[in-house]
Amino acid sequence: MSDLTFLMGKFEAHIPTDRIYSDNHLWLQADGEPNCYRVGFTAYSVRLLQDVYFLEWSIDPHSAVHKKQEIGEIESSKAVSTLYAPADGTILDFNERLLDDPSAINTDGYAKGFLFRMQTEVTFLTPEEYVAHLAAGWDKTEKLIKGQYN
Amino acid sequence: MAKPLVVISQAQGKNPAKQQLEAELVAALSSDANVEVSLVPNLYDLAADHSAMQFLRSIPGDVIVLSWLYPRGARWILDRQNVRGHEGVSLLESKTDDEESDDESPARKNGNGRHGSDDAKKNGNGNGHGEVPDSRPLPNRKIYCLDLRDHSEVKVYLDEIRRIAVGQVFNLPGQLSSTLTSIAEPKQDEQVENLPHELAKYLRPLDLLAEQKSATSLDDDDDVPANGEIVRRRWYPVIDYSRCTNCMECIDFCLFGVYGLDPLGSILVEQQDSCKKGCPACSRVCPANAIVFPGHKTPAIAGADGEVGDVKIDLSKLFGAPSAVELAARERDVELVRDGRDTVGLTIGIPKRLKDKPKKPRDELDDLIDSLDALEL
Repeated sequence: MSDLTFLMGKFEAHIPTDRIYSDNHLWLQADGEPNCYRVGFTAYSVRLLQDVYFLEWSIDPHSAVHKKQEIGEIESSKAVSTLYAPADGTILDFNERLLDDPSAINTDGYAKGFLFRMQTEVTFLTPEEYVAHLAAGWDKTEKLIKGQYN
Repeated sequence: MAKPLVVISQAQGKNPAKQQLEAELVAALSSDANVEVSLVPNLYDLAADHSAMQFLRSIPGDVIVLSWLYPRGARWILDRQNVRGHEGVSLLESKTDDEESDDESPARKNGNGRHGSDDAKKNGNGNGHGEVPDSRPLPNRKIYCLDLRDHSEVKVYLDEIRRIAVGQVFNLPGQLSSTLTSIAEPKQDEQVENLPHELAKYLRPLDLLAEQKSATSLDDDDDVPANGEIVRRRWYPVIDYSRCTNCMECIDFCLFGVYGLDPLGSILVEQQDSCKKGCPACSRVCPANAIVFPGHKTPAIAGADGEVGDVKIDLSKLFGAPSAVELAARERDVELVRDGRDTVGLTIGIPKRLKDKPKKPRDELDDLIDSLDALEL
């Protein structure tokens, strides 16, 4: 299966077609059990973050969450961000491997670098829809980056 | 030249490290011939009729305020309480970003000094209240505000206080408003000597500290000053009038009657204690970032200087952060429900500036809101 790509300037962000996407730039891949997904940062997110130094969750495993609820913090070489739930549902557990060393987010973001497992019944974006979402938001993202750099 | 008065505003609660810094400052300054020193409960918590606030209002000369608050917060708390003067410029360096671990939006450089010259220009009307009409004349003295969270060493503060105290001789008042120089200079030393007994106690901080030490706490949440006037923790907005544009978005948004207008039509925090503890919603909708909640955990809301200007990009918006207005509306709804009222979401008092934005395609919510407007609720 060939990946889709989205051009961030000259950088090609790969968007694999074997999973679905949330509008806040996370991928979700079915995890065997019904409505269960592994969730991680898309290549687009990772490119903006660059090297992740620090990841912290502010909720406990098996917490019910609503979309846009604050669930953690991330800090990288270039950015900081609060992290928000991609949809209403339940965060099952966090990727333990990342807590000591979050570098897998950069080195293997679509597999070993997943963030958490989540159960949700919400419908997400297809890879094609996600790429369209990226294209629609790119101007704004560029402004966000430039505006904050001054 | 009158000696400046150093005012140490005590921390809320009983943090031993903070109490120790306060005690060390009191001890060192009590023996300093260049300044008077006083100790008052946390400025933010003082009601207008508290004797400590009466004491501060009775001081005519320069004041150096040391508090556990951002300088902007301290300055405008005092302004609202009619303890007013020109902004004194502190050269004290603020804590750098790296030292501040719990900081959502750091980038606070050089405390209250950075905006000093801007303010002087902007506040051409001479009352310190930028664009908002104010009938009160601005007393011809300076108020310096230093943040006690910036440094843990007493010496840093003592050096800055001495710099200000000594520098005063060369720094005669009247730079900003030469018309006022004909008015007799306040004679702080005399005034201070003639204070009524119940206010003069604030000038004996060593005695106050000793009394506080021997008193037992009645309630963890209250700081009990020596005279028994209980100071309860308060929560209310403080308007920074050097930024406020009198746009009325706060009074439109707040549904709890906190804001009001003075006879000149200037926005005013009228009913401080009608405010909902923990709710900073009006601060989020303020387009000029002029509303300070000194007790909020987010520095930008608590009065940290400057805009979000971190060297790192904040990607929270990208990763799904609710907008400030969404957050404000949500916070307001929580408080409405607590009061047994109905939620209003984004239907009431939503900042006008959003309406000026380029129109997006209408959605169901737009239709819903319009239908509510049509009902003329």
